[in-house]
Amino acid sequence: MKSETLFRLAGYAAGFVLLFAIWHVASVYIVGSILFPPPANVIARAIELLQDGTLEEQVAISMRRILTGFLCGSAIGVPLGLAIGSFRFVRYLLEPFTEFFRFIPATAMITVAVIWFGIGEGSKIFLIIYTTVFIVTLNTAAGVGAIAPNKIRAARSLGASTRQVFLFVALPATAPYILTGMRLAMGNSFVTIVAAELIAANAGLGKMIWDARLYMLVDQIFVALLTLGLLGFTTDRLFRWAIYTFAGRFSPVS
Amino acid sequence: MIELSKVGKTYRSMRGSDYQALKDFDLRIESGEFFCLLGTSGCGKTTVLNIVAGFEWQTEGQIFVNGKALSGPGADRGVVFQGDDSLYSWLSAQGNIEFGPRMRRIGPRERRERAAYYLELVGLHGQGHKHPSELSGGMKQRIQIARVLANEPEILLMDEPFGALDAQTRSVMQQELLTIWGATRKTVLFITHDIDEAVTLATRIGVMHAGPGSRLKAVIEVNLAPEQRDRTNDGYVAVYRQVHALLRDEVAIAMRRAS
Repeated sequence: MKSETLFRLAGYAAGFVLLFAIWHVASVYIVGSILFPPPANVIARAIELLQDGTLEEQVAISMRRILTGFLCGSAIGVPLGLAIGSFRFVRYLLEPFTEFFRFIPATAMITVAVIWFGIGEGSKIFLIIYTTVFIVTLNTAAGVGAIAPNKIRAARSLGASTRQVFLFVALPATAPYILTGMRLAMGNSFVTIVAAELIAANAGLGKMIWDARLYMLVDQIFVALLTLGLLGFTTDRLFRWAIYTFAGRFSPVS
Repeated sequence: MIELSKVGKTYRSMRGSDYQALKDFDLRIESGEFFCLLGTSGCGKTTVLNIVAGFEWQTEGQIFVNGKALSGPGADRGVVFQGDDSLYSWLSAQGNIEFGPRMRRIGPRERRERAAYYLELVGLHGQGHKHPSELSGGMKQRIQIARVLANEPEILLMDEPFGALDAQTRSVMQQELLTIWGATRKTVLFITHDIDEAVTLATRIGVMHAGPGSRLKAVIEVNLAPEQRDRTNDGYVAVYRQVHALLRDEVAIAMRRAS
């Protein structure tokens, strides 16, 4: 197990080195334009932005929006999904909602969100909640539907009450699906927050890209892109780790 | 004691083509008996078990367990399933075995003691920390049996519990089940389509008619001592032939109906 972890970390390190190498070659030897800065310039600029605190500030603003919206969205989506998966009537009642809004992407809702909630935090958090709720709901409901009936039957014959079946069988059996839904939602949250901040925001990584474009600060655009990639990669690894830990060695997802 | 009287089960289909699995099914299993219900595939033997377990309802007739009318699943009737999908993959073997007592609010110390005792009884001493995915098919069935026994039910309902195991493991498991049954003397209703398995285990064998509208064709007493329960024994062979003759016609009928 331990050597497997080391093996993976070594692979990740080599992969990132390769990514930066390709980037460097493409920038210096193939494109050779000021519009495509090499990694060294971008990293130097990132260090400057870190030293004056700008980068941390923008990251904190964007991440706070994502986390708030994502947690609220999951808190709504999980119980909804459990209800849809458990009760047929609730499913029929809510299917028009989930199947309708699923096809309206959060980016299409940006304008409406800004009109309703203003240019500040309200509209961003609304959009992240919006993009999170449906994925988490659908995955949770699918997880409930995938529970082997014999797991529930066994619990009933072992003397479990309906409430106990829910708490000790349905919930843990669904946990890997819930976490997978949350993982997908986290990816969408990154897309949504950048789009929203590009179009209408006072601060955040998306706003940073937009402002840099106005002043042709290409290095700074790339700093924001690099930051988004690293943040996304890290949060996704954390989720995979959580799924792995929760579901143990037998999870249907990996 | 389990008593089924004139039990019928009809599956209603939306398209109007109802299927009657059981009709006028009578069966009486005394306490402490090891009763094997034998039949061709699709004859409704699992339906009988599901009804006794409380997972399905009969559409006609009555069922009494220890004189009381049946009302849903209960801890007095432990069920061992054929596959391993009833085990809780997020719990260790020990956690699975403690599940029943935990649901019934038995204290942690007694739960641990019971789990240790039944792990030992099914031959999995020291394996309690493993998760189901780390165990072989035979070991998983042992966990299922230990989980049911740890809940101390009066009746064991077993639905082809060794059906998915290889012949070697199955034979070992049958011997161990006999030992466990000898030690606990639970009432057992055991479903199988394997004549050898039935003759090896049962005190009585009920042979079912082929479906639909199935009921018991005959019940055979198996008066064999433990040492006689061996394929080369004359007494064993005699019972085997008797059961085989009863079942042969039903297999032919079932195949004709299927084609």
